[in-house]
Amino acid sequence: MTSTRTRPLGRPAGPTPGGRGTGGSGRGRRWSRHWFDNRALPRLLVAPALLLIFALIGYPVARTLWLSFHDAGLPALTGGGMDFVGLSNYTDIATDPQMRRVFVTTVVFGLACVVGTMVLGIAVALLLNRPFRGRALLGVLVLLPWAMPKVAAATVWRWLFHDQYGLVNWGLVSVGFSSFEGYAWFVSRVPAFTAIGVVVVWQSFPFVALSLLAGLQSIADDVVDAARIDGAGPWQVTRHITLPLLKPLLLVLVVISTIWDFKIFDQVYVMTQGGPARSTEVLSITTWREAFTQLDFGLASALAMAMFAILSVITVVYIRLVREDQGLSR
Amino acid sequence: MTAITPPAAPAGTTRPARRTQARVVTVLTYAAALVLGAFSVAPLVWMVLTSIKPRAEILTRDPVFWPSEPQWGRYVDVLERGFSGYLTNSLTVAAATTVLGVTVAALAGYSLARLQVGLKRYLLLVVLATQMFPMVVLIIPLFAVMRNLGLLDSLVGLVIAYLSFTTPLAVWILRGFFASIPDDLEDAALVDGCTRFGAIRRIVVPLAGPGIAASSIFVFIAAWNEFLFALTFVKQDSLRTLPVALQSLVGRAGADNGAIMATSVLFTLPVVVFFLLVHRRMTSGMVAGAVKG
Repeated sequence: MTSTRTRPLGRPAGPTPGGRGTGGSGRGRRWSRHWFDNRALPRLLVAPALLLIFALIGYPVARTLWLSFHDAGLPALTGGGMDFVGLSNYTDIATDPQMRRVFVTTVVFGLACVVGTMVLGIAVALLLNRPFRGRALLGVLVLLPWAMPKVAAATVWRWLFHDQYGLVNWGLVSVGFSSFEGYAWFVSRVPAFTAIGVVVVWQSFPFVALSLLAGLQSIADDVVDAARIDGAGPWQVTRHITLPLLKPLLLVLVVISTIWDFKIFDQVYVMTQGGPARSTEVLSITTWREAFTQLDFGLASALAMAMFAILSVITVVYIRLVREDQGLSR
Repeated sequence: MTAITPPAAPAGTTRPARRTQARVVTVLTYAAALVLGAFSVAPLVWMVLTSIKPRAEILTRDPVFWPSEPQWGRYVDVLERGFSGYLTNSLTVAAATTVLGVTVAALAGYSLARLQVGLKRYLLLVVLATQMFPMVVLIIPLFAVMRNLGLLDSLVGLVIAYLSFTTPLAVWILRGFFASIPDDLEDAALVDGCTRFGAIRRIVVPLAGPGIAASSIFVFIAAWNEFLFALTFVKQDSLRTLPVALQSLVGRAGADNGAIMATSVLFTLPVVVFFLLVHRRMTSGMVAGAVKG
């Protein structure tokens, strides 16, 4: 529902003091101004942004799709003249065990990060919703991981996970896990992904927690009070009142987190670069590697399109949820 | 505070039991708050501490928590060893992206919030969906175009690439801000004989100031932090931005961890300050009170 912009009726459109001798032309001017305000201006204002979006997003997406059906090395990519190969880039991906492993890794790692982020985010939101001294301070401190650039966070955590001098190993050993003495996190797959996952969750839980906190605080007190009076304990209030009311918000947060965690590049690149022996590659790393170190732009484009397809499905779900939630067409 | 609980009398168990339960909950709350605070802040604190430790105290089996002699000089070293150049590159790219992106986005955001543009619904969906795009989908064609236009190894190329993901974001944020400015104010100006442009200049721009500031900061942070495009499009060392410079320092064998941490601090500090700034801005109701005191 858009508000219809009505011109003030019964008033002269422009400052026409005296009003003599301006009869016809004033009317024409009013009409042209009306036309300009309501027809031309809106389009003019949107045009630059639209142009940018089409040139920098629309064209590249279409071109990547086109490239994914071609065999394109570096000279062909920039000079033209590449061979159409149909779906062979896609079939290459489907039959290559390394590629299949990357897909599985991306999904498993992404979902693990989402679960970690949501669990921690919910817990932190519930904590911050309780009255205690220092809550405001904690609310600011929790923002810091989110505020930190991803590359910087990955750098610092890489140092924290250092096998000999890292704080993490020292902490684990001092609480009794002596097997972590000199433990190398980045030489094999699962520990490396654990370390990367910690960084990802560390950086993304604040967003979830603070969004949920805002949601929690918007729940009317009387609903909770009514439940309390009816004898519900804090757990029952959470279980039967708070969570159901927050369900739409929770869904949106899950979808956003999923999209973010499937796209991860920076943290992996800084912490392991996909190694050792390509074992910690996720989809975006593999795509980048096929393109810019292997110079197989066709295959890389096919990988990018596969990722795009996965994320599109998630995005459609997301947009549906947003629409239901708040109605986009304000 | 002593944790003495009176022996529970068989008849009146409920009251003291409930009180102990409340106390347990309080203790647990504070414990959780402490753990959470430590988890959030420890990496940042450790980053700062490591950056000012003497070399000998960085590589120790048992961590040295407080540097015997803070090495503030390391920051000077880091800046002199080329990092002021990377810093300048990052600032230039982020500032240019912000100015261009926010200008374009403000126009579009206003139009989308106020005026009737056909396809408005779809536009908003496009804007929203672009936030979800994986950057790797854009990077190959953009790389080809930049290469053909001679924009690889240039900050201009980076700014153009950054507009791809910052403009939709800024449109989205600004549209919200413009929508929150009551229509009545503008209508009143129109009734009083202002042109649409006049109304925008006199009413909307001043009121949208906080929104423009907030979206500028968002765009600045996004451009400042960007890694993938910067890594791919710029190979010449003197044109690198901070994240790429930092990453290449990390990858180097035998790199000085103190210098790495000092660089991380320099890279992190401005965005953290900005971030905390916007956060407050965003939550303070900007136009509350503009209509009906």
